[in-house]
Amino acid sequence: MTDKPTLGSRLTTLFTMVVALIWLTPLIFTLLMSVRPPAEAIIQGGLFFGSSITFENYVNAWNIAPWHLHYMSSIIFVVGTLLVQWVTVTMAGYAFARMKFAGRNLLLILLLMQLMIPPGVLLVQNFATVRDLGLFDTHWAMMLPYWGSAFGTLLLRQTFREIPIDLEEAARIDGANWFQLMRKIYIPLAIPAYIAFSLVSISSHWNEFLWPLVVTQSEHVRPLTVALSRLIRTADQGSMYSLLMAGTVLVVAPLSILFILFQRRFVESFASSGIK
Amino acid sequence: MDAAITTPARIKQVRPRKSILHWLAPYLLIAPTFAIIFLFTLKPTVGAIHDSLFRPARLAQDPPVYVGLENYFDLFDPTHYLGARFGRILGNTILFGMFTVAIGVPLALMFALLLNRRLKRMGLWRFSFVYPSLLPIIGAASIWAFIFADQVGLAAAILNMLGLEDVNWLGNPNLVLWAIIIINVWSQTGYYMLFFLAGLQGIPRDLYEAAELDGADYRQQFLYLTLPLLRRTSLFVLTIGFAFAFQTVDQLQALTDGGPGDRSNLILYFIYQNIGERRNWGYVNAMTILLALLVLVVTVANFAFFERGGRENDR
Repeated sequence: MTDKPTLGSRLTTLFTMVVALIWLTPLIFTLLMSVRPPAEAIIQGGLFFGSSITFENYVNAWNIAPWHLHYMSSIIFVVGTLLVQWVTVTMAGYAFARMKFAGRNLLLILLLMQLMIPPGVLLVQNFATVRDLGLFDTHWAMMLPYWGSAFGTLLLRQTFREIPIDLEEAARIDGANWFQLMRKIYIPLAIPAYIAFSLVSISSHWNEFLWPLVVTQSEHVRPLTVALSRLIRTADQGSMYSLLMAGTVLVVAPLSILFILFQRRFVESFASSGIK
Repeated sequence: MDAAITTPARIKQVRPRKSILHWLAPYLLIAPTFAIIFLFTLKPTVGAIHDSLFRPARLAQDPPVYVGLENYFDLFDPTHYLGARFGRILGNTILFGMFTVAIGVPLALMFALLLNRRLKRMGLWRFSFVYPSLLPIIGAASIWAFIFADQVGLAAAILNMLGLEDVNWLGNPNLVLWAIIIINVWSQTGYYMLFFLAGLQGIPRDLYEAAELDGADYRQQFLYLTLPLLRRTSLFVLTIGFAFAFQTVDQLQALTDGGPGDRSNLILYFIYQNIGERRNWGYVNAMTILLALLVLVVTVANFAFFERGGRENDR
């Protein structure tokens, strides 16, 4: 706790570096492997660098699957989910924060059910529902279950409640209707909550795997994660690990860059959420 | 503030305009959210309970047959074709959850303690611990497919370099579950660390100063101050750790298919494997209910403890 670094604190810093390096090792070798010559396994030649540095793997990885379709599909899934969530979460969040109505507490408990039994667990039944609705193998099937978010509703309820009610009353006296109320007061004052919710929503759906895997079939609907899982199987059989690492980088790069740019926001959002 | 006197009068003028629409408004506002909750949480929960008590008829056009709890009994019957596998898979799932949490949570606390100091280049340190949890699990699985690859993987290369015998992580029935646990720990620990960091930063500095004045050394401060004050955080992290672990699928689909010989198979993946088998519909739903109960036990425990812990902390 003193300003001058003691031996103890120096050792702790050293230890931190060692642990961080261990944790970084997979990432470092993913990058190194992705620029190794395609046929060169890591046990041949140097551990860190191969005989030469090449970007051939990236070209090959890009050509092995219709990535532009998978990117597009992931983006549609993430954006389509988030846009609708913004609306539904705002509406329900406001109702639970500021309105009194019969059955409110019971409905809140039903809302909590979604947090207690995650939709992923109910896979078989939800798969049947999507099939019965005729939505199998569409982007709608991927997005639909997430259009109502208990987490987002509760987060905005909490945020809206902290906004002084005087503001709403003053605006109502000036003749503001509900939409103006939301646009001028509630939404602007809840921007940090919206950012937190959005980051959590984006990263969880960008990374989502099992649900899209089950409800889609065609290339142009399947998101990046499902495409990557197939690449893993192909590459594993042919021991094409430099190709696989290049493909992995292609898939994980966008969100990683987003994280590096907005690191503080991400950290705060996740810490406040408890749901990825 | 001048408006304070006029405000009540004005509001009274507005109030009488309450109409049926006014009464309906809150329900209209929550309707979209509850339509989804109904369709994808309530209906499937009731549906799974219902379907777990039935067995599909031999012919697809005949109605399912009510069998009571027989599907559940079969799952625990080692002579039954699914029960023979389910026992091991349920055991794997519980072991997997316990080891992931027992390794990952203390590690996360350690990382948080390491980072909760004055450090240069904080962003870099935090990134190195947190980035695995930002990757899609399938991305993590892909990276570890290379690390664990038989003979040509990174782990084999490092073991060889150290003069040790390399092992087939994913092909060896005794190692495969550990390999999956390692992937999970690596990809989740940074995420748990964030909660501990937030918890540590919530502890007032002067508590430590007071403890130091009283002559408490670092170990005592940790045991009698930090740990008790992090109780709520720890409990919360334990809960999400278990809940995530019980729903692990991605690594299995990408790396092991649950094998060899179901040694790395977990409940949700087993459910996925049987989703298309019409004759197993009742069993699949029974497994869904058992999995939901498993997750419910930890989440409800969390909610319950949280309430109690909250009141104690507020005093």
